Amino acid sequence: MALSLSARNVVKRYGGVTALSNANLDVNAGEVVALIGANGSGKSTLSKIINGVVVLDGGQLLLDGQFMEFSSPQAAKNLGISTVFQELSLIPQMTVAENIWLAREPLKRGGVIDRKMIREKSDALLNLFAGTYKSSLHPDVTVTSLPPDEKQIVEILKAVSFDPRLLILDEATASLDSRQVERLFELVKRWKQEGKAIVFVSHRMEEIFRIADRYSVLKNGVTVGTGAMKDVNTKDIVSLMVGEESAENAVERKKAVAQNLSGSSVELDVNELRTDFLKGLTFQLHKGELLGIGGLKGQGQRDLLLALFGDLKYTGSINFSGELVHFKNTRQAMNKGVALVPGERAKEGLLFIRSILENLLLPSWGEYGFPTRMRKARESANRIGSTLNLKMAGLDEPVTGLSGGNAQKVVIGKWLLRNPRLLLLDDPTKGVDVGTKAEFYRLLARLCADGLSVLFYSSDDEELLGLCDRVLVMHDGNIRQELFGETLTKSNLVAASLGASRESMQ
Amino acid sequence: MNKHQWQTFTLHNPYLFSLLLLVIITLVNLFVQPDMFHRDTINNNMRVFLPLILLAAGEAVVILGGGIDISVGSIVSIVNVILATQVGLQGNPQKMYLMMGFVLLVGMAAGAINGFFVAYMRLQPIITTYATSFLYAGLALFILPNPGGGIPQSFSSFYRDTTPLGLPLAFFIIALILLAWGFVQQTRYGRYLSAVGGKADAAYETAVPVSAIQFSTYVAAGLMAALSGIAVTMLVSSGNSTTGDQLTLSSITAVVIGGTTLSGGVGGVAGAMIGAVILGLIKNIISFANIDTWWQTFVNAAIIVVALAAPGVINLFRRKR
Amino acid sequence: MKRITISPPVAAVLLAIILFALSGLLPNGFGSNMLVARAQAVNILRLSVFLGVIAAGQTLVIISGSEGIDLSAGAVVTLTAIVTYVLVNGNDGRVLPALFAAILVGAAIGLVNGTGISFLKISPLVMTLGMSGVVTGMILIVQHGNVSGAVSPIMTKVIARPLIFGIPGAIIIWVFFAGLMWLLMERTAFGKNLFAIGTNRVTARLSGVNVTAMVLATYALAGALSGLGGFLAVGNTGVVFINIGNPFLFPSIAAVAVGGTLLSGGKGSYWGTMAGAIVLTLLTSLLTTMQMPDSVRSMVLGATLLILISIYGRQQALRQ
Repeated sequence: MALSLSARNVVKRYGGVTALSNANLDVNAGEVVALIGANGSGKSTLSKIINGVVVLDGGQLLLDGQFMEFSSPQAAKNLGISTVFQELSLIPQMTVAENIWLAREPLKRGGVIDRKMIREKSDALLNLFAGTYKSSLHPDVTVTSLPPDEKQIVEILKAVSFDPRLLILDEATASLDSRQVERLFELVKRWKQEGKAIVFVSHRMEEIFRIADRYSVLKNGVTVGTGAMKDVNTKDIVSLMVGEESAENAVERKKAVAQNLSGSSVELDVNELRTDFLKGLTFQLHKGELLGIGGLKGQGQRDLLLALFGDLKYTGSINFSGELVHFKNTRQAMNKGVALVPGERAKEGLLFIRSILENLLLPSWGEYGFPTRMRKARESANRIGSTLNLKMAGLDEPVTGLSGGNAQKVVIGKWLLRNPRLLLLDDPTKGVDVGTKAEFYRLLARLCADGLSVLFYSSDDEELLGLCDRVLVMHDGNIRQELFGETLTKSNLVAASLGASRESMQ
Repeated sequence: MNKHQWQTFTLHNPYLFSLLLLVIITLVNLFVQPDMFHRDTINNNMRVFLPLILLAAGEAVVILGGGIDISVGSIVSIVNVILATQVGLQGNPQKMYLMMGFVLLVGMAAGAINGFFVAYMRLQPIITTYATSFLYAGLALFILPNPGGGIPQSFSSFYRDTTPLGLPLAFFIIALILLAWGFVQQTRYGRYLSAVGGKADAAYETAVPVSAIQFSTYVAAGLMAALSGIAVTMLVSSGNSTTGDQLTLSSITAVVIGGTTLSGGVGGVAGAMIGAVILGLIKNIISFANIDTWWQTFVNAAIIVVALAAPGVINLFRRKR
Repeated sequence: MKRITISPPVAAVLLAIILFALSGLLPNGFGSNMLVARAQAVNILRLSVFLGVIAAGQTLVIISGSEGIDLSAGAVVTLTAIVTYVLVNGNDGRVLPALFAAILVGAAIGLVNGTGISFLKISPLVMTLGMSGVVTGMILIVQHGNVSGAVSPIMTKVIARPLIFGIPGAIIIWVFFAGLMWLLMERTAFGKNLFAIGTNRVTARLSGVNVTAMVLATYALAGALSGLGGFLAVGNTGVVFINIGNPFLFPSIAAVAVGGTLLSGGKGSYWGTMAGAIVLTLLTSLLTTMQMPDSVRSMVLGATLLILISIYGRQQALRQ
């Protein structure tokens, strides 16, 4: 049965933060619509509204022209709407088959679950991805023990098992390798022909152009453009995403950084760094250098930064400022002048219900004596606030009220207060607006010029290309390639990121 | 064994540790009580263990579903004082049957109150059931301010001496519960339970009726607490408003020893029942070990803390390697 | 949903005043006799001190988050009361050493709690409930049915009797103590880090806070404060009995909840807890005045806590 769904003027607020202020989306049977937007633009929120997990605060949903109000995910599923979630909806302790058929287990007489049928049906589903995963993935294995890509496959199969009329793929390709992505796209084409409607949420431009028929671009919670893919090119889409500024200006070119490192000393010398995941990393970071780390998500970048910050056990030697160090906890690392801006701002970087002041001074309270000299603490906080151009109603306001960009300034600010010598950044511009990004790039340039060494992981290739003179591309716990000077190009970066398929790219 | 293999292994064998412990404790117990496997001794032991076994089974369901219930002991007390005051030593059997049915309803109602506040009002389980435990304990004390009352002699002796097919009555009750649990695990409800305890928000997104499941676990625990209360009353054949006080911690300990993690999602009823037997045997050993009476409470409590610490200690060593 | 605009500590104070006025209206209440009213108010305040000090430790562990709670507080109070009683033995000169011993014993038990919770990952509820049993066992060993000892005249004088201007020493101690608690929570790195670990332990750790040490210190401190509570409690009663501490346990948690401290951690104040302690002491004395049996008191306390957490303690809804 043909389907059409439209979301009109959707509004959603979380506490004081507006996630969506005017979002629109139309999708019909037999087409793939790409929902595009930068991180934090509201893509995930909109897809959660469509599938009933999140309640909208304003606007309306129309299904086949009828006004709709989903009371629960159950209701949405009954109408044939199914989602592949970015944050997986799998229960870690349960098996693959149990997860796929959760809440829809086929029953035998007496209400007993038909395990045999579940296994058979799961096998049939797994067959869709046959050949792209390891033999360890089978219906009876527990989900916790699977690697991220296979978890993602299970999540996709779970959504498909509903035989939905509308399938939402929310960043479904993020942790898949190229063969798996290839297979998914074949399946999407097949589903499209079968008359399913598909919403493809992504920020990978190349994938969008390969698979989507139409696009809808979100920017800061507002739909800023829709149309057919064939009428636009990458540049058009990007300029819709970033707004007035042209795509080129989104990242200030490396002239801004203008690094001159010949003659500067080695600040960080890492040798054969190993953790459960990292397979022996060796690299050097110079004083005042902005060294980029690239690669697809989840290739060990996070482990590397955490190990350097003393939060993850490792073997191997780390030489920091000419001194052999082995940090056993974050406090030791911090006291030596290392700082980390973690990847998950809300979960790892901020104390949500506490004030801006307390967030800024969290690592530094010990330095304000006893009893804490609050006036001095406030002065420091205000000073760093104005240095970073932090927009806030006051130091005592809860940090919850800040926008993504300003919140990230607080996270960075708490470390700058301590004048670190090594700054570790884990995708710091995620969910940060364009204006703040530009400020942030200028800040980095200034800090490096003052002699701060920065290790900078970004999921945004443009950022790495624009800011860094040297990028280490990680793949599967290794440094796959070091790119610098002439070799630091977009195509090399992408090729190295894909790792295993490097040969095929050349 | 790497981390993932270990995880899969322990997830598939949550009872392994408790079975091992059961064997060791049994051997020690055999040493101090050589006639342990004699039929009368088994019967004696099992009817003393049964109340905790029942209570632990109910607590396991709640913990498996991601909650905790520290009011179960008070529910046992309520049931005990209702039976002791309403039936009485001279009461007739019909009255006893009637009241047994009534206390089962009372247990479920008490569980339903817990479940309502936790699942539908979305309050924290610990603090909620701590509050209701006071409510229920007060009610028990209100019904029976001073220890006393009783149930007809015939029921006590029935509980004490019935050995169908030469096996203690407790065995049949345990078997019945294990069968019921085995069936539940084969149904959607069993899956929902693991899902809700494992990751409630993911379960919600998958259209599992999370609140209803949470609610039902507390009702189940209330029902099991009522059964436990009936067993206790038949065992001691008198009433005391503090009967259940010590049972709450023991039941949680039994669940932990039985391989159910307090964070929910992993484990099961069978392990909790094994855990309850282990605790019973430990008590047995202590009483046989000629420990000075003044020291018994301490030794008992210390063993409970050690038992609670055991999984943590094992993890600590595993992480060191 | 509209947010409650009145802050919980203020609400608690208002509640205390209302309860006090109500207690005056009872048939055997103070009625319109202001002298009696004042005496009664002072007495309520004095009785609140013991609960208030014990609830201070509870406030700290609850603020520290991760389902933090100390169910061993009641047993620790009893044990340290006995320790004080035995050590002092009627001798003024031994009051200070006994005070230190009480605090030390409490801190040691708290440290064991903290060790189990932070290193062995035992849930605070289970760990402290287990330790409560262990401490009760220790009490039986120490006490052996009866203890000989006595409080000293100076303890009675300072704690139980009016000290200056008819104000009992206990109240003066409490005000001083409250100042110290405020300093600890609001003007030390420890206090700031306590709120941090209560809000988000990952963020705290990644900001250089030693979470393990903080948890250990918090539970040890809570134990020490229970020890102080035991010292004060026995100073007030003048005799020691096996059930001296337990009646404080439930009200200590309820007092923290009344005072508006988030039961999930990360937010709260000691002055809220003080107001809470007064409310609960009033409630108890109101029920006593009305000649309600223990059973009714227990039920009323349970229901009060249930109502309170229904107002303050809702968790996030599944559907947002």
